[in-house]
Amino acid sequence: MNILLCCAAGMSTSLLVTKMEKAAQEQGLEGKIWAVPANQVNLHIDNADVLLLGPQVRFLLPKMKQLGEEKGIPVDAINPVHYGTCNGPEVLKTAINLVNNK
Amino acid sequence: MGKFNSILEEKVMPVAAKIGAQRHLLALRDGLIATMPFIVIGSFFLIIANLPIPGYADWMASIFGPTWAAKLSYPVDATFNIMSLIAAFAVAYRLAESYKLDAMSAATISVAAFLLTTPFSFSFTPAGATEGVLVTGAISKAFLSSKGLFVALLFAILSTEIYRWVVKKDIVIKMPEGVPPSVGRSFAALIPGFIVLLVVWVIRLLVEMTPYASINGLVTTLLGDPLKLVGLTLGGTIVAELFVTILWSTGLHGTNIVKSVMEPIWFGAMGDNMTAYQAGQPLPHIVTQQFWDNFIHIGGTGVTFGLVLSMVMFAKSQQMKSLGRLAFAPSIFNINEPLIFGMPIVLNPIMIIPFVVTSIVTVIVTFLGMDMGLVAKPVGIAVPWTMPPIISGYLASGGHISGAIMNVVNIVISFLIYLPFFKIYDNAKKKEEDAMNAGKTKENIA
Repeated sequence: MNILLCCAAGMSTSLLVTKMEKAAQEQGLEGKIWAVPANQVNLHIDNADVLLLGPQVRFLLPKMKQLGEEKGIPVDAINPVHYGTCNGPEVLKTAINLVNNK
Repeated sequence: MGKFNSILEEKVMPVAAKIGAQRHLLALRDGLIATMPFIVIGSFFLIIANLPIPGYADWMASIFGPTWAAKLSYPVDATFNIMSLIAAFAVAYRLAESYKLDAMSAATISVAAFLLTTPFSFSFTPAGATEGVLVTGAISKAFLSSKGLFVALLFAILSTEIYRWVVKKDIVIKMPEGVPPSVGRSFAALIPGFIVLLVVWVIRLLVEMTPYASINGLVTTLLGDPLKLVGLTLGGTIVAELFVTILWSTGLHGTNIVKSVMEPIWFGAMGDNMTAYQAGQPLPHIVTQQFWDNFIHIGGTGVTFGLVLSMVMFAKSQQMKSLGRLAFAPSIFNINEPLIFGMPIVLNPIMIIPFVVTSIVTVIVTFLGMDMGLVAKPVGIAVPWTMPPIISGYLASGGHISGAIMNVVNIVISFLIYLPFFKIYDNAKKKEEDAMNAGKTKENIA
């Protein structure tokens, strides 16, 4: 499963990526997890199975959801507390649930 | 306080969300981001040309000859000093992309439109002469640099909107029978660009009849200068920072949203300062992009470096202890989302107070320090916002120790303001944890 994350500059989200990768490894999940700035999502979304937004750019959610609909992948914002505490396992769970319930 | 939060959630957030996702503002911001790598590369050469080491200039001249500084400015001129040209391309590209139009056509047309607004002549006063000579057949590099930025942005949007309008009209050229249809299409493909350039050309001809003489003169006088006058004063800066911090208090990326309105002004000011710095003239502006990135947002928005320090040094609750460990390293690079969302500062009245107050106090102290000449102003060298504090202030001020000291002062201010609020919050967390632990022990005994 490929999980795409985005925030304003892709920086703080990349911090979360390392934690999610670790959680995925422990669970034996295969796939790519990566973070990009919001303005580059359109270049990466074709390779993603799910798109998650940092809470600070959740004002872009309607726009991104529309994009996700076109590509047929689920899109949502990350829970702020999970985001702030870099809770890799929880965010990974969110991503998995989104893909399974689509 | 619940009322305060609901006002933030219901009134501030929707407006902020609208601005943050507004198509043209997004295109402006993303377009300006495209100029950033070039500006940073140019800044690198600027730094090399101006290293604040005694005897450096003579040493360089002894190795590379007396024109060494001029040679180092070649890459600066081809990067930093064409920021408007790059912006003309990039803003139109991003805007067209958002309309799902052919971005490459729109962007190249925008470059042509921008150059069509620009006079290919300028007045040059040779050394010793009293009157200027009109030089023709050359573009003054000032127009491609910060002086042309507002024109570039404005015409990128205008040309792309005209382009979109023409494409939507779907104008076709009817060819006589027997002509292959693709010939007609190849002519039709020229129509959008033709109409854009026709409109810009007519605008230029009309403006040349006015006292403003050039589109650049008109836009600078009517738009650029007034905006800079308002946006770069202490008052304008405080208002901007209030918006930034209040938006972050709701959990939205305030810097990004406010930037989409203010960035053209801050970028322009950065370019103006760089031009003056390169020419050895006094710096015109205090507030530039680097004023924010390298002097105010130390540790991230809200000057949270002092907060993370108090957390690392004094945290008693487990939550704050572990958050301090998590947040410290990113804070060195001015990334503070772990604090903003993890503490959280978002919708947390105890922490929003110091978050806003620290920002405003540091803005005032830094602005006044620079205004009174105690601290060197940012010279226009673009230091990335992720550069750790103290180094960043030193570099952004063109290698003045006062820039580094200003960073230290702001860290101290931030520490002093955050500490009492942090202690209140930390104690509350500690009590929560103690109560929970006590509850658990009871369960165990039972």
